[in-house]
Order: sequence, then C-alpha cells, then structure tokens
Amino acid sequence: MSDHLPVLVLLAPLFGAITLGLFGMKDHRVCLPVVLSALVVSLCCAIGIVLKVHSGGTLDYFVAGWKEPFGIGILLRADAINSPILVVIATVALLAAVFTVRHAGERDSEKTPHFYILFLLLCVGLFGITITGDAFNVFVLIEVTALTSYGLIAIGSSKRCKVAAFHYLVMGTVGASFYLIGVGYLYLKLGSLNMQDIHTILASNETLADSRAIRTAFVFILVGIWTKMAFFPLHGWLPNAYSYSPSGSAAILAPLVTKVSVYVMVRMMVSVFGLDRLEANVEWGHFVVWLAVIAIVAGSTMALAQREIKKMLCCLIIAEVGYMVGGAWLGDPQRWGLTGTVYHILADALMTSCLFLAAGAFAKWHGAIKLEDLSGIFCKMPLASAGFVVGGLAIIGVPPTCGFYSKFYLIRGAIEAGQWVYVAALLASSLVNAVLFFRIFEIAYFGKNPVESHGHGDDHGHGHDSEPVVRREPPLQALVPVLVAAALVILLGLFNGPVVEFIRTGLIETAAVVSTGR
Amino acid sequence: MKAKIFASIAVAITGAVLLYAVTDFPNFGDPRSPANAGVEGGSPSASLYYIENTYRDTKVPNLVTAILADYRGYDTLFETVVIFTAGMAIFAILRVLRNENAPSAPSPDPEASNRTIDGDHHRIIVGITCRIAVPLVQIFALYVVAHGHHSPGGGFQGGVMLGASFILIALSGSLRDALARFSEASYIRLASIGILIYAGVAFLPLVFGRNFVDYGALKGLLGTDGEEMARSHGIFGVELGVAFTVMSIMFAIFANLSTRGRLKGGL
Repeated sequence: MSDHLPVLVLLAPLFGAITLGLFGMKDHRVCLPVVLSALVVSLCCAIGIVLKVHSGGTLDYFVAGWKEPFGIGILLRADAINSPILVVIATVALLAAVFTVRHAGERDSEKTPHFYILFLLLCVGLFGITITGDAFNVFVLIEVTALTSYGLIAIGSSKRCKVAAFHYLVMGTVGASFYLIGVGYLYLKLGSLNMQDIHTILASNETLADSRAIRTAFVFILVGIWTKMAFFPLHGWLPNAYSYSPSGSAAILAPLVTKVSVYVMVRMMVSVFGLDRLEANVEWGHFVVWLAVIAIVAGSTMALAQREIKKMLCCLIIAEVGYMVGGAWLGDPQRWGLTGTVYHILADALMTSCLFLAAGAFAKWHGAIKLEDLSGIFCKMPLASAGFVVGGLAIIGVPPTCGFYSKFYLIRGAIEAGQWVYVAALLASSLVNAVLFFRIFEIAYFGKNPVESHGHGDDHGHGHDSEPVVRREPPLQALVPVLVAAALVILLGLFNGPVVEFIRTGLIETAAVVSTGR
Repeated sequence: MKAKIFASIAVAITGAVLLYAVTDFPNFGDPRSPANAGVEGGSPSASLYYIENTYRDTKVPNLVTAILADYRGYDTLFETVVIFTAGMAIFAILRVLRNENAPSAPSPDPEASNRTIDGDHHRIIVGITCRIAVPLVQIFALYVVAHGHHSPGGGFQGGVMLGASFILIALSGSLRDALARFSEASYIRLASIGILIYAGVAFLPLVFGRNFVDYGALKGLLGTDGEEMARSHGIFGVELGVAFTVMSIMFAIFANLSTRGRLKGGL
C-alpha cells in the first residue's frame, strides 16, 4: 500500500466525508471519531511521503496508470518542496479538528455533520492542490477548497459572516477564473496540462516561451493566485472572512488556505515557468518585490489600526503573505529567498494556527473580542496565554521560534540579491509586530481584571468583581491544540537546519530534473 | 461612483491584456494547432494520443467520456465532489433546523392564490401533463446516463435531468409532493452514495495492487475479456455515481433555495 501514499493522503478525508454523509446525519456522535481518524491517517501518510522522499527522492504517482506517453493522465508528484507542506496541513487540520469538539457549528449543533463534511473536504482540496503535478487539476481542487471555505465561513450564526463569505465568494471566483484563463492559454499554446511537460516545452523553445500568449497566461495565473492568497491590493476579502467565521473554521482556514496558495505560486515558478527564465527577467522580480514591500507595509499599518484580536491577526496574515511573495521573487543566485519562502509557509501555517486557536479559545471561554477584553487573561488562563505568547513571539521573529529562522533566510536572500528595500520592510514589520504583541502582553499581564467595565461580552461567571480572577483554563479540547501548536512552533525553529536542508535539496533537485527534461 | 470607475478601469485593463494575447493564438479549428497536434518539433500532444488510441484503450467510442472518466477521471471525481460540496454548503448556510413549528412569516401560502376555479383547472391540466411527463423525463435521463459511451451524455447530464424531473413534481404540484417521494434524508444519503460509488470504483484497483482510477484492474472482478472492457464498465460505474450525486444535489439546491431553507411552503 505504501506506493499509493500520494493518493491515500487525500482519500482518507474524502472517505471520511462520505461516511459522515451516510451515517453522520442521524447520529452526530459518529462525526468526531471519523474526522479524527481520517486526519490521523492523512498525517501518517504525509509523514510516510516525507520519509520516502527523503530516502528515495521525488515520488511520482500516475493516476489510472497512464504512464506512457507522458502527460496523457494525471500525475501526482511529491517532492521535497510539497511533502513537508502536506505534513503541516495534516497537523494543523488535526489541531483544528480537536479544537472544534462540541462546538462545531457554534449555534446550530444540528449542522455538526455538515460542518465536518465541509471541513474534511477542505482538507481533501488542500492536500490535492499540494500534491498534484497537473496544472488543471490544481484548478479543480482550488474549486473544492474555495467552496468548502465559503461554506465554513457562512455556517456561523451572525449575518456578518454571511456577507463576508459572499464577498470572499466574489473575489475567490474572480481569482479562480483568472487562474483558469491562464491555464487555458497555456494549453492553447503548448497542448499540455502536465506541469513538467509545460516546463520542458518552454525550456526548449525560446521564442514560444517569450510569446505574448504565454506571458499573458503567466500574468493571469499569478494575479489569480494572488487574489486567492490575499496579496495586498487584492486582500479585501480576507479580514472579515476570517474574523467573523466561527472559531473552528478560522482555525483551519486562516493558517492553511493562503499558505497553500503561496505554495501554488512557488510551484508555478519552480516547475512550470522555471526559475532560470524568471531570473533572466530581473525586472519582473523587482516589480513583484516592490509590490510585496507595499503589501508588508500596508498589512502592518492596518494591523496597528485594529481594535479586535482576530482582525489584527488577519492583517498580520496579509503582511506575512507579502513576506512570502517577496521572498519567492528575490531572485538571489543561491535561492535563499525561495528557501525562506517555503520554510515560511510551514512556519507561518503553524504560528497562525497557534494564534488563531488561542484567539478562538479566548473568544469562546473569555468572551474576548477586542484587545482590551484580554486584560487579566494571563491570570485566568496562564497555559493558553503562554501558547498565544509563543505564537506572538514567532510572528515578531524571536529566536528560537520558527519565525526567527524564516526571517533569517528571507533576509539573507534579500541581502544577497541586494534588495535593501525588502530588508527594511521586513525589519520594520517585525518592529510593528513587536509593538502590537507587547501591547497585547501588557494588557493581558498588567491590565485591570475583567470587571464590570465590559459586562456585555461575558455573560458567564465574573461575579466576584473585586477579587482576583480565578484561574480557569479553557477545556482540554482547546488547551491541548494551542499548546501542541506552540510546541511545534518552537520545535520547527530548533530543527530548522534539517528542514531547510531538505527543502534546499528539493529546490535544487526539482530545478535540475526539470531543466534536463523528462 | 468611485468604485464604479475603479471597476471599469480594472475591467478595461483585463480586457486589453486578454485581447493582447489573442493575436498570438493559433487559428480557430487549425488541425496543426498545439492543442491538437502538439508543439512543432516537440512530442505529439495528449489530444492526438486520445484521438488515436482511446477506442483501443477503453472500447468507448465517445472520446469525451473516456477522457473525462478515465484518463482524467481523477479530475472528474473532484468535480463531482465540488457538486456535493455545493449541496452541503447550501444546506449549511440556508437550512433552518430550529423553530420548525414557528410560523414562517414572510411567505404567504402559495396555494391560496390558486384556489379559484381557474386555478383549479390550471392545476389539473399542469398536474396531469407533468404526471405523464415525469416518467418519460426519467427514462430519457437514464438513457442519457447509460449512453454516454456512444453519444453526448453521461452522468452529469443525466443527473441534471433526473433532478429536473423531481423539480418538475415540485413545480406542478407542491414541494411536499416532491419531498414525499424524495425526502431530505434520502437525497443527502443518495448524494453521498453517488460519491461513494465513484470513489469506490476508483479505489477498487488499489486492492488489486494497481493505481487509483485504473479500472483495468477490475478485469477479474467484472469477468470481462480484457482490460479495455473493464475500463469501459468502470467508466459506466463512475457515471452512475455522478448521476446519483448530481440528481440529489440539484433537487436539494432547489428545495432549499425555493423555501429559504425551511422545506415548507414555497413554490
């Protein structure tokens, strides 16, 4: 069975979703065991893929067995770039699933099975996007991911989340259509949908690769993916969509969906259009790095202006997307920028997961929506707050968290490429993050105890006004994911050496395999 | 107003970029275009392979069906999942499960307006006609599902027709009549069964040690002469799964949208 790991990783949640559709509607107790076991199977498969790629190099899986001639079937390809991302997707999804125990759809507990079906199908889409080697298949799975995301956001009880989901739907559809137009143009000119096939043709045919249709295709694919990842001028949908959605949905959507879109961009650059070609067109790279700088500055500025915890975290995501897009386009000869980007995809998924889980726990069990509501949270929930602090330190970039190392690699790439503006933006944004999080820490540590001043949000249990706050951690289902995510943030930082080594062999190997042809 | 100006500029730029690329396209219907024949000097394209070998590989005369359900069957599985997801998302957003007994304020009883003598005639004529039409529609839909191998058709088209036949019952009579025949529990179950059929037929080859979607491995199980016929039967199997899912979700979307998720009153 181990040959089939690349497809099993996404079949597990797919069959899980089918099981819920068949048996979950009547008896809701079926849901959670099915979801958790499906995701555990996925996690094991993903780890298995990493081990196989580590020992044996790139793993190809020909769906339906159509190997010869190359490109008539659909190819799934796991290499050193996407296999660690699979593990992170499975991990974050598992943490989010544990977090949703007993409050899946928040208001309508009758909709629990539907929530979990959408949840599992979202995982299917994310795994599928990550592992495929076919440009059109990416689109199909982007659709699965997008539809499930809209559903997961709109399942919340408030009207705001429905409006936010609709806004996201419009923007997301535009993004997906742009991507599809791009792929259509590629097919029109090259007659192939297989990523490696496209790359081989482009690498061997200079005039074709420089033709108008191919350039247009590239622009449309990029802009489409940028919309999907909320790259700065196209970010409008993100803050509302993620901050008004139920905590359980936000805990999986915010860390993963934008990150997987960044991965698609990296994949398009590395295995479809080719790094050599992009590095030859330096001015494109400069242009995109400037856009990224604007995104970083804008994201950080917007984050400063926010009064709500989740909104602030959403603005930080926009800045982080700027880091990753800029890093990927630095074009330094040693490819440290690209390495940093791939590493940052992993790091950012984990730290965003940590922060959103903690913020979800604060909102659910402390009624904390605004920053001021957090006062005294350290006394009430010391462990959960510790998780939040670790996540915050990682976003700031304090060693030994993974955030420090990803910034280290990104800055190294930027210095080697001579992109000093990007370095400045990165450092400035880190400073802003420090201001943001230390402001929160101050409120949370030294702020007044949550007394009558904001009695509207918390209807449960602040009866003893003047007494010190009783320590009341969120239940284990929320506490454990927060702490595990925090531990992973630190572990990924401590073991950054081997991870980065693995990614770099992948980047160099993929580029080499691709440029020598089949 | 400002937003409109920005939007117009964005649309104009997008259109200009698209037009810029059009001049570079191969001619319409050109048999030597890259999509048909492959890039000049390169290897022949996949579509050329399909045209020349599909019948040999799958014994399916209709290329489109074979590509859809076999060569690119993995994509189609997820297209079916997209439809299933749409149904689930609409349920998650619209379906009102609490306060079922509370009077649904905004929707006036639609049957009241028809309770004139004219209305009754209208209902009788339309009702009888639809009662005759529905079985015919359904039989034709089954034909479309089964005949995808030879002519345009297949699971998606047939499924839509089957769904439409239930919608016709709801339109000509009332939603209650349609739900009596095709209840909520059964359409959710049937949609899941459809995906299960597709994913299951695609998964079976793994049991025989072959790759996902490789229906050729089902040769022994189906007792066919060669792998080609097994592929042909496998394609039929997944088309059936698609038809189930599409039919159920079409009706589910109609039922939820027309009654604002209450599955009561409405049209």
